[in-house]
Amino acid sequence: MTDNNEKDTFEELLDLRMKAQLASQNDDDREIAKVLTFNVAEQVYAIEIQYVTEIIEIPHITAVPAVPDYITGIINVRSKVIPVMNIRLRFGKDEIAADDRTCVIIVNDGDVSVGLIADSVSDVLSVRESNRSETPDAMNVNSDKFIKYIVENADGVKLVLDIKKLLGSEDEKEI
Amino acid sequence: MAKIEPGMESMLDMYIFETSSLLEQLDEILIRTESANAFIEEDINEVFRIMHTIKGSSAMMGFDNLQKIAHKGEDLFFIIREKPELVKDAHFVYELIFTVSDLYKAEIEIIQASPEDFEPTDFSDIIARLEDAAKQLKSMEDTGGQTSVQPNKGAEQLPRESSAEGAMTVRVRFEAGCGMENLRAFLLLNKIKDDAEILACVPPDVETNSDTSAYIIENGFIIVFKAVEVTNEDILAVIGDAVNVESYEAINLPKPEEKAEKEAEKPTPLPTEPTAEKSAARKKDEEIKKAAGSGQKQSLISVNLAKLDLLHDIVGEIITTESMVISNPDLDGLKLESFSKAARQLRKLTDELQDTVMSIRMVPLAGAFQKMGRIVRDMKVKLNKNAELVLEGENTEVDKSIVDMLNDPLMHLVRNCMDHGIENTAEEREALGKPAVAQVKLSARNSSGEVIITVSDDGAGINKEKVLAKAQKNGILTRPAEDYSAKEILNIILLPGFSTNESVTEYSGRGVGMDVVKSNIEQIGGSLTVESEEGKGTSFIIKIPLTLAIVDGMKLKVGVTVFTIPISSVRESFIVGENRLITDTEGAEMIMLRGVCYPVLRLHKKFNIKTDVTELKDGIMLIVRAGENDICLFADKLIGEQPVVVKPFPKFLSHWNIKQEGLSGCTIMGDGTISLIIDANNLINTD
Repeated sequence: MTDNNEKDTFEELLDLRMKAQLASQNDDDREIAKVLTFNVAEQVYAIEIQYVTEIIEIPHITAVPAVPDYITGIINVRSKVIPVMNIRLRFGKDEIAADDRTCVIIVNDGDVSVGLIADSVSDVLSVRESNRSETPDAMNVNSDKFIKYIVENADGVKLVLDIKKLLGSEDEKEI
Repeated sequence: MAKIEPGMESMLDMYIFETSSLLEQLDEILIRTESANAFIEEDINEVFRIMHTIKGSSAMMGFDNLQKIAHKGEDLFFIIREKPELVKDAHFVYELIFTVSDLYKAEIEIIQASPEDFEPTDFSDIIARLEDAAKQLKSMEDTGGQTSVQPNKGAEQLPRESSAEGAMTVRVRFEAGCGMENLRAFLLLNKIKDDAEILACVPPDVETNSDTSAYIIENGFIIVFKAVEVTNEDILAVIGDAVNVESYEAINLPKPEEKAEKEAEKPTPLPTEPTAEKSAARKKDEEIKKAAGSGQKQSLISVNLAKLDLLHDIVGEIITTESMVISNPDLDGLKLESFSKAARQLRKLTDELQDTVMSIRMVPLAGAFQKMGRIVRDMKVKLNKNAELVLEGENTEVDKSIVDMLNDPLMHLVRNCMDHGIENTAEEREALGKPAVAQVKLSARNSSGEVIITVSDDGAGINKEKVLAKAQKNGILTRPAEDYSAKEILNIILLPGFSTNESVTEYSGRGVGMDVVKSNIEQIGGSLTVESEEGKGTSFIIKIPLTLAIVDGMKLKVGVTVFTIPISSVRESFIVGENRLITDTEGAEMIMLRGVCYPVLRLHKKFNIKTDVTELKDGIMLIVRAGENDICLFADKLIGEQPVVVKPFPKFLSHWNIKQEGLSGCTIMGDGTISLIIDANNLINTD
């Protein structure tokens, strides 16, 4: 497993180098964005890095009534009260007990801050034209509602979340 | 579409703040002088100063429309300053200036709302009215047989220096309607003074005397200068290129006979002398201005409220962290003498720090109260009722955010007093043995962590039969009319869908009822009650907390959750014996205490919390007051009481109706965890 990982990282490094070279040759393939990737229920998601404020361990969470069950509660991050959303429940997966890799990614859009509970965070990736693809328009399935676009690297595909939609309101109420 | 000049955006806040406070000052002075029906010198100077400052800063910000009005207002007061007795009984002047003040406020609101692109309102109408008023005053002045000598008017004067060798005399004309000609002239002087020696200019005192604008418009601005190192022609080019300069012409030296002729026209030989008397007077005025200015220069600074909020947050954070350190579980069982000593000292300091920060946010209610003076005054005129506003305890201080939110409710209550409370005619009042001039009283006082504000009138009072009949007609009675107590009847007028006045007037009864006032006050954690005695008057009593930010809370434990409930709403707590619970046919639980039956609300059921304490005898009961009713809350146990810093729920959670569930906010406790604050009023409403 470790070998595999190392190999993967090596390949990825190679991949990145090649891409960097490509990028220097080809101006169209500049870095568009950086994304933070994280795992939730066997799936790798990503968030554009400008939305991420910090990543913290799971703190004490105070439950709040009258909210959907994917809003776990509110937490205190340096005297700021921030609501916490469980990504697993948000995307209809089963809840699992928190372990030492579970963490809260604090994301921020304008004046709204929300903590997202993820199983673990993994990496920061560059997004380029060459490894970025749109979600399919045809058969617009419900699942990609929060997916802004898809990034692919040697590890596989990562779904980049649309934070504005995730933190938006109306759609969420329906679910 | 107008845009704020680049580089001025940062000044906008300051401009808005300054202009708004100046306008309030203006209103206050006008109200005072109108009721006294005489302008004293200081007041005129003050108004003049206000107009002047507004004019200057509006011009600076590039709000030409605002600047023009202020300019005309200044002109008007220039006449008044010469002859203060003219405004005696000249109510149209007051009316006009009040309108100007209102237009200003409206325009500033527009600017504030969208500083990026706003449409400057066309004020030509009001400017014309101001001009008319000025003319009217002028004619009054003239018929008074005393024509005042206008400074520098008519006679053309050229300074003596113009005959100096190598000097050049230029007459500059500015673009028509550019405004603030004197300052533009001053700027022009500044521009050329690097390359030329300014020998003289007419008028001489453009920088300090704004009255010279009129002269410049009429006669142009005359500069006598001598170029240094460059040629006179270069200077002329600079002048020609200057902003707002329409044209310039070099003037030949007047011939001696022309000069003589001119001098003959003039009563005094020297050009500056006709105004000597005036300028002396002006100097005196300026001294007064300066004196007024220095009087206001208290050791005050204005601070952005956001910064204060930040400071407040940090202090809250320090206090939380402090308890985290001092009552750290790692210290359990250790004997730390000097640590405890240091900790006590720290606590004392942080307490002081907190008090100081809180006191920074406290502002006197005077500002909010004085605004009401304007409303009383306006309504007096419109409704033709004679009333005076009496202020009491206006120096009582409350949190800034509360003062801001009090404006609307106060305005509504004062309007109600004027419109519905006070008898329609003075005769009516005199027949009842009351003074002809009615009184609307605003008073404020502190009382144990609360501020009590009373808005009262000595009018007719509330007719209870009428209220009941009206309520019955509107179908808002829930019980037979006979069952209502006097107090309940009065409170009916605070219910939605009730308005006692038959006719809808301009001021009250615009569909915004007393219920809105009540809910506004409740929003800031206050309460509104009515007291009234028929024939004697009505009082509206507002009770508001001193500050929104910190409340004394009682901590309750339910399962693993800790709730905080404001102590002000807890009446008593007790442990209930067995078999005291009554269950009605619907399964609703009630409890009897000293002959009164209270409904029981189990917090763990209400908020769906798992707990082992489900037997009433194992937990604790709290009687809490919620609006007009008392209910009995059931929690696992009481933890204790503590002042807590109230924080609103994060914005993201406003997608859901948490407040409707009876929670008003949250607070961070000593151990860093969050406790939810119970709002008793809403706990019940949702049941």
